[in-house]
Amino acid sequence: MLRRLITNDLRSNKLISVSTVIFMAVTAMLLGLSVFLFGTLYSSIDSLMKKAETPHFLQMHTGDLQKEKIIDFAKTRSDIEEMQICNFLNLENGQIKIGDRSFDSNMQDNGLFCQSDKFDFLLDADDNIISVSPGNVYVPVAYKNEYDIKVGDRMCIGTEQLNVAGFMRDSQMNSMMASSKRFLVNESDYDRLRSLGSEEYLIEFRLKNGSDIGSFSTAYKDAGLPSNGPTITYPLIKLMNALSDGIMIIVILLVSFVVLYISVMCIRYMILTQLEKDRREVGMLKAVGISRKDIRRLYISKYLLLSVIGCILGVILAGVIAVPLGRNMKALYGEADNPVLIHVLMILGAVISEVVILFSVSHILRKSEKISAVEALRGREGKGRRRNLWIPISVITAAAVFMMMVPDCMRKTLSEPDFVRYMGIGNSQIRIDVRQSDDIGSSTDLLSERIRKDPRVDKFSVMRTGSYKTTLPNGESYNIMLENGDHSAFPVNYIEGTYPGNEDEIAFSILNSEETGLKVGDKITVSRNEGGNIEQRECIICGIYSDITNGGKTAKGCIEDDTPSMWSVMYVTLKDGVSPEEWITEYGSGSQESIKIAMISEYMNGMYGQTIRNIGNASLMTKGVACLVIVVVILLLLRLVIWKERRESSLKKALGLMASQIRMDYLKKLIFYLLAGLILGIISGLILGQRLAGGLLGMMGAKGLKFTMDPVSTFLIVPVLILASAIAAAVISLREIRNIRAYECLNTRE
Amino acid sequence: MDTILKVRDIKKDSILKGISFEMTEGEMIAIMGPSGSGKSTLLYNVSGMDKASSGEVWLKDTEISGLSEDEKARLRLKRMGFVFQMMNMLSNLNIIDNIAFPAVHSDKKDRKEYYRRANELMDKLNISKLAERSIKEVSGGELQRACICRSMIMKPEIIFADEPTGALNRTATAEVMDAFLGINREGTTIMMVTHDSKVASMCDRILYLLDGEIRGELVLGKYIEKDGREREQRTANWLSSMGW
Ligand SMILES: Nc1ncnc2c1ncn2[C@@H]1O[C@H](COP(=O)(O)OP(=O)(O)O)[C@@H](O)[C@H]1O
Ligand SMILES: [Mg+2]
Repeated sequence: MLRRLITNDLRSNKLISVSTVIFMAVTAMLLGLSVFLFGTLYSSIDSLMKKAETPHFLQMHTGDLQKEKIIDFAKTRSDIEEMQICNFLNLENGQIKIGDRSFDSNMQDNGLFCQSDKFDFLLDADDNIISVSPGNVYVPVAYKNEYDIKVGDRMCIGTEQLNVAGFMRDSQMNSMMASSKRFLVNESDYDRLRSLGSEEYLIEFRLKNGSDIGSFSTAYKDAGLPSNGPTITYPLIKLMNALSDGIMIIVILLVSFVVLYISVMCIRYMILTQLEKDRREVGMLKAVGISRKDIRRLYISKYLLLSVIGCILGVILAGVIAVPLGRNMKALYGEADNPVLIHVLMILGAVISEVVILFSVSHILRKSEKISAVEALRGREGKGRRRNLWIPISVITAAAVFMMMVPDCMRKTLSEPDFVRYMGIGNSQIRIDVRQSDDIGSSTDLLSERIRKDPRVDKFSVMRTGSYKTTLPNGESYNIMLENGDHSAFPVNYIEGTYPGNEDEIAFSILNSEETGLKVGDKITVSRNEGGNIEQRECIICGIYSDITNGGKTAKGCIEDDTPSMWSVMYVTLKDGVSPEEWITEYGSGSQESIKIAMISEYMNGMYGQTIRNIGNASLMTKGVACLVIVVVILLLLRLVIWKERRESSLKKALGLMASQIRMDYLKKLIFYLLAGLILGIISGLILGQRLAGGLLGMMGAKGLKFTMDPVSTFLIVPVLILASAIAAAVISLREIRNIRAYECLNTRE
Repeated sequence: MDTILKVRDIKKDSILKGISFEMTEGEMIAIMGPSGSGKSTLLYNVSGMDKASSGEVWLKDTEISGLSEDEKARLRLKRMGFVFQMMNMLSNLNIIDNIAFPAVHSDKKDRKEYYRRANELMDKLNISKLAERSIKEVSGGELQRACICRSMIMKPEIIFADEPTGALNRTATAEVMDAFLGINREGTTIMMVTHDSKVASMCDRILYLLDGEIRGELVLGKYIEKDGREREQRTANWLSSMGW
């Protein structure tokens, strides 16, 4: 009987039932999807890193390798499980070509690598350790789509050729945020090609379970071992792997919360309207002695049924949508370790969204139960509380605007030129990197001299990074990578204080400041190298900036001493009217292979291109979901409004108004509330979105970020999409007006 | 005969100004009075749907006004039956489901038994052929008889009816009254608010309510069909003496 009651009820309220199911399904889909993608990403990264046996500590080094010293050090440490030193043959990007595509503008350090024999393995698509036969090369999977590479393509390095035999996954350098990429070749090819590049070392350690990577890394630095290059640790690798897809997932998660909110709100209005409709029946049930709990159970069972349908639909949809969204993830990180568990979690995510909805249904029912049997029997209008159904239209429009805006603005923020400053990079036109050269110092001097004399250059600065030993106020020694130069020309973003202006000042990156606990105004002793003599000098921390380059632990100063440079970077902005492309070609053709010249925009695209594309995908999906939500909401709420005002409309007809006039009145009112919602949404998007985007990017190390609004999206695309879907839905909904008859208002029944 | 309902000095805001009366088991009384005199209010307060300002209501040994809302609901479900003016059925269920609904919904074990009883009651009230119809497909009199079936489903000790014939025409009124008289003859106590003097004349006793007070009482005794005319006459005379 209960079943019959519910099915009849659903049948007589088709629109409401279908809308409820749609809301429930979309909510379940989004939450399930976020859980699924999140679980897949986490688990597959984890599984890749386990199978590849990623090193816990990795020191890149160029120059003299004191192998004996490293082995001696390793003997003294009980926390080392395994160590190895690998060679990496750094190639000049201009020399690399795959098929007919050149790597000229590639910003990564690309090089050849032989499969290691102890750990840090490079894996194929099925997680097998690849063994390469002579003449073959395996290409990083991250390049597969970017350069449209196919198995069987020719890879040219200068005059030499290799055959692309497949793609490999590199647990360390998979992400485009990692600045190097390894190409896997056979030992014989490596030896043959050695003369074409410059050799670099990867000094890698696997630590025993539960060892403290931080203290190991300090001990390594303290031992004075080779450290001419960035240091990378396991957690950092994991973070870099997670971030490029993680942001997309967080966007989807965010959207699913907004949709959950909208669903709850719509369902609330549906319930309230329905309760109003059912008032007499509910009153009768109460009078007859059915308890409040039993009446609530009637409604809950209906929504329970709908939510089960919604949940199943949502899970199926999530499964379908997860395929394209997860494709990139699968290519990079492979299959997740435990797909069954992840699917279970996905279903759980969907179920949780339904539970939240059902709880809110129960809450609404509990709250709206105030009407007593007597009141209902006396047929009184629930104490004159006429609910305005137009306001939820505004609120939901605002939520949809917000939902569409945030991913777009996030993408805009990431692709904005000024964004680099939050990454610890100067906002110039052109960036020049000098790395992996035998003598960074003199190459840098030579080039900077040439640029300084170039009349086309408007602004220019040189940064040289060296490794400095310092002593913290508490007496501990602490190694920093200090970037020296004129920091005023292209300042990065300082969260506190400002750039160092003299030799007694040093600025710290956030991560360094967090690790040492030093704040602006604190003092630190730096060991300077004055012609081979070590001199101590006290410096004051003058600023804290956000940085994600070189592992995020960096410092800036303007010390001029004889500490050797590990690498150097030049920032150049040209005068108006000078073509940067030509300038780059001119300088690029004449310079050494260790010098890389590129537009900052390319540099950023290399690092964040994938992330931006992912957010783009998510934003497309978000727009689709938002339009669907708007269509359903307008369809539904307008129906409810028309239903409530039916008698009034009928009176209007009786008084001689035409259906089209009544429809126009509704449409005008709708547009007014839509516009109010648009404005509300844009304002909340700007205020809340700033916080959200700031928080997200803060996780990437870019703190204090200003959210950039995307004006095209905010003021054109979003309003047009919303208005178009709303009006389309309204036209359908308002057709009902035709069916209202003039005599209805005279009919006193009910 | 035992007293089944004892109402002592019920007051409700300024609508009921201290009402006391008793009903014996198997009695059928009518409450009459002009519109707005407090008849419905009295019924709501006696049946525990509304909370009286003061006074006591005893249903046999149970004092109602001291019970909690949920206890009162249970009491109404198990020991009282209700028939209202109109349209008090669930539009999404057919007639027989509506009749069985309160009983089945609160006591799932005896489902079969309730449906059996629903059929029996419908038989008795001549509406068994309507069992599967939707409530929109039956006449007012038929619907009201179905409501009587529903009120009887749990074998209540007393039935409260608020203008059960108020929206019905002559024939339908007669059918409904037949039904009430039938169940009353079988022992069910009935308290009925009515506007219709003919309906009232079929009751054992009539209380006249005015401005929240009982102003008069007419004892007619058990209804016998051949006395119908005479009872109607007596009632009419009495009512006009009350200022009806
Ligand atoms: N909720 C209420 N609050 C205050 N007064 C009410 C309420 N409901 C009814 N009344 C008033 O109480 C009086 C009695 O109403 P009611 O019991 O419905 O009369 P009857 O059923 O005899 O026509 C009327 O004067 C009416 O206006
Ligand atoms: Mg009344």
